[in-house]
Amino acid sequence: MTITTTTTADTVDGTRGTFDWTRPVLWLFAAGLIVLVLLPLCWLGVYSVTDRGGHATLRNFLVLFTNPDFLDPLLTTAIIATASAAICCLVAAPMGWLVSRTDMPGRQFIRALVTASFVTPPFLGAVAWELLAAPNSGLLNQLFRFLTGAASDEYLLNIYSMAGIVFVISCYTFPFVFVLVANALDRMPGELEDASAILGGGAWTTARRVTIPLALPALVAGSLIAFLQAMTLFGSPAILALPAGFHTMTTKIWSLFQYPPKLELAAAAAMPLLLVTILLLQAQKFILGRRGYSVVGGKYGAPRLVEMKRWRWAALAFCLVVLLNPVFLPYFALLNAAFSPNATTLVTPATATLRNIVFVFTELSATQLALKNTVILGTATATIGTLLALVIAYVTTRRVIAGSRLLGFLATAPVAIPGIVLGVGLFLSYTRPPFVLYGTLWILLIAFLTINLPSAYQQLQAAFLTIHPELEDASRILGATRLTSLLRITAPLLRTGLIATWCFIFIGVMRELSAAIVLFTSQTKVISVLIYDLNESGDLAAIAVLGIAMLVITFAVVLAINRIPMFSTNAGTRLRN
Amino acid sequence: MASVDLRGLTKRFGSLAVVDDVSLRIDHGQLVCLLGPSGCGKTTTLRLIAGFLEPSDGEIHVGDRLVSSKLRTLPPEQRKMSMIFQSYALWPHMTVAENIVFGLRLRKLDRDTIAAKLKAILATTKLEVLASRYPGELSGGQQQRVALARALIVEPETLLLDEPLSNLDANLREEMRFEIRRLHDEYRYTTVYVTHDQSEAMTTADLIAVMNGGKIDQLGTPQEIYENPQSEFVARFIGASNVIKTVARDENHVTFGGVTLRVVGAKLTSGESAMVAIRQHDIQLSTQAPENPENAVKATVTRQVFLGAGRDYMVEMSDRTTLRIVTSTETAVPRGAEVWLTLPPERCRALGR
Repeated sequence: MTITTTTTADTVDGTRGTFDWTRPVLWLFAAGLIVLVLLPLCWLGVYSVTDRGGHATLRNFLVLFTNPDFLDPLLTTAIIATASAAICCLVAAPMGWLVSRTDMPGRQFIRALVTASFVTPPFLGAVAWELLAAPNSGLLNQLFRFLTGAASDEYLLNIYSMAGIVFVISCYTFPFVFVLVANALDRMPGELEDASAILGGGAWTTARRVTIPLALPALVAGSLIAFLQAMTLFGSPAILALPAGFHTMTTKIWSLFQYPPKLELAAAAAMPLLLVTILLLQAQKFILGRRGYSVVGGKYGAPRLVEMKRWRWAALAFCLVVLLNPVFLPYFALLNAAFSPNATTLVTPATATLRNIVFVFTELSATQLALKNTVILGTATATIGTLLALVIAYVTTRRVIAGSRLLGFLATAPVAIPGIVLGVGLFLSYTRPPFVLYGTLWILLIAFLTINLPSAYQQLQAAFLTIHPELEDASRILGATRLTSLLRITAPLLRTGLIATWCFIFIGVMRELSAAIVLFTSQTKVISVLIYDLNESGDLAAIAVLGIAMLVITFAVVLAINRIPMFSTNAGTRLRN
Repeated sequence: MASVDLRGLTKRFGSLAVVDDVSLRIDHGQLVCLLGPSGCGKTTTLRLIAGFLEPSDGEIHVGDRLVSSKLRTLPPEQRKMSMIFQSYALWPHMTVAENIVFGLRLRKLDRDTIAAKLKAILATTKLEVLASRYPGELSGGQQQRVALARALIVEPETLLLDEPLSNLDANLREEMRFEIRRLHDEYRYTTVYVTHDQSEAMTTADLIAVMNGGKIDQLGTPQEIYENPQSEFVARFIGASNVIKTVARDENHVTFGGVTLRVVGAKLTSGESAMVAIRQHDIQLSTQAPENPENAVKATVTRQVFLGAGRDYMVEMSDRTTLRIVTSTETAVPRGAEVWLTLPPERCRALGR
């Protein structure tokens, strides 16, 4: 059966005969995505089960699970991750409840401060805590000696320790738990609590019997995320654990890339991180998926706030004391270091100097290159990533081609690949023909693209869902091809969403360290790697300057995007550390 | 000439046939309503005609062109159709005028022609003063008229309407019904109109296709559908009918409430089950035995409600079956009273299905 084409009078004003290019283009995108995500994972898998000669073996895993060189980091990582997750829950759950469900003063302020700790790159936080609590030079230890008159080799805090690492990681991980708990409580209808109250439950009974059980799934899910975050972080342990003389899994993997490289072992060591991540994300999905009962049916009013009475100010004090650690103290230390002649000397109006800033931006040769690379990579990644996410979101929300669900799955899959694992996979994939990209910016571009794709995709998918498909249908029935409809109707409507996504990817690139650290070469350094290098060479003042610049840009974007209604809910949560 | 011809049209989602072997011929210039409850497949049928969906089986011909078949589907933009959507689908980033001329711009008409056509359509739809507004600044009725203007300005061969009035309030809806019919009579394009509202279908359509479960249950003029329903579904869906389930005595008599009723309509078979439809306002209710005992039954009032324009009765027969009756307000009978019902034979329609 064919379409009968008749006389020219029958053609639709010149639209007939134009070929619909959308499908081939979409298939091309799909193929690109598959290569992007699956290639590094495949090489990772292959390398982990081969020896240097290329023969299949399980020896790598044997070494991994018997050699103390690997067993110790494995154990250390487990301890750090578990302890951090526990601390995060202990701190974030009460804070989430106070902010969402009580009449504590300054609730919006506390939320904003948590967002601030959310968007602080963890490695920057780690450097700031070096400034504060290094055994000898740390500002807090100097204060301790000043107050107690202790000898100059005595100290109160040592950030270069297991406890120090757990502390610093918790500082920048607890917002994950906080956001999940606070959101769950925000969404929880007040009537559920009113129902308990009318049946005779007092405020505290209601909190204990209704509110807390309903928020529990979010808390558990949050603790899993905190665990994952602590497990896969590279920057903080590298800055704090290496001087203390021990390794976590991420730093161990990184060390396997130092000369002489042991790529097979690195691949094998990345496997547990990958598997645990996938497993825990599945668990989280399962736990949150059952939460449905908290939003059953009907229209609900705003939640009723628990009256704290004379405890209101105590509650606020508690929140502020908690936030001292991720926000006030570190920011103070960074600002101090940036304007002080000596990073760990308290600055006074008399000693304040702009020398550090001048040094970083004009004299430090590495800055120019790193800035240039970061801007190039940020712009390119944001542009390509937004485009890619746009096309995938379109295909999945409008079900244009068969297998669109698979495409959506692939786009979100990188969430389950820790940065350093992806770094290893990309290193293995692109140091060999047909793609020799190592040593170029391309490999970093691919890494950043893969890492930022999931959140970009989810963001644009949400944006697409707000655009009624009939708007596109209307354009097509009037004679526009699919491509024309996309360009004339969909794109303009998505504009704010696209800009927001672009900015988020740009920030994401700026903050990325754990994949970049195994992929950079001397000519392809980026800002985050430069900061790490500067830490190695002890140039903490320069880090402070760069870090503050980075924070200013980030805050500006997050603030701007919070003004767009579509994204107003926790713009900060979309960043990935 | 753009007749629209559906031949054995079928659309399956998985194993579920949402549109099931639908055949329907719409002549050029006719306005056909697809009428049915939600989920009956009417919107799917419309989207198949528009080319947004590909049929699982069957064909769609427009004029002498085959536009949809299992093997190839002409994309919507090449069908010379227009559509009005339930949501109106006005583009919020374009002004009223920009929305309306979108289709003309795609056809690469010159500026003067576009301006002239825009002016004409704005006048027809009474939108002149709103031309430079954005859709977000318009009321529902105004948005509806913009959607109409946008669809009509391209002078389509076929116009498709998907529940176009369901978002309007009752007064406006009534007004727009006649407006749509007026514009149809003025331009004479072939129109397919999807609705679940029977009075909307009655006022606008030349032909009504009542759909149920993915099939066309009955096709006919509004009058035929109303006066001569052929199935239980149509009888219940169009107008307010009682459907009596009973047993046939011969080809035009059934047993009901202890008496024998004469009925018209489908031929019945003696001894087999039968269904008879009678409208609520066709039953006469009186407190005395009627002079003509034909089709008269005794019943008890179980509920009586004053509706303003009439009274709504629920009555029960001796065999506990119930009927609903609407009478004029004069006949006020209290609950529990015995009444006589007359079911005029020519109003009792035996149903084939």
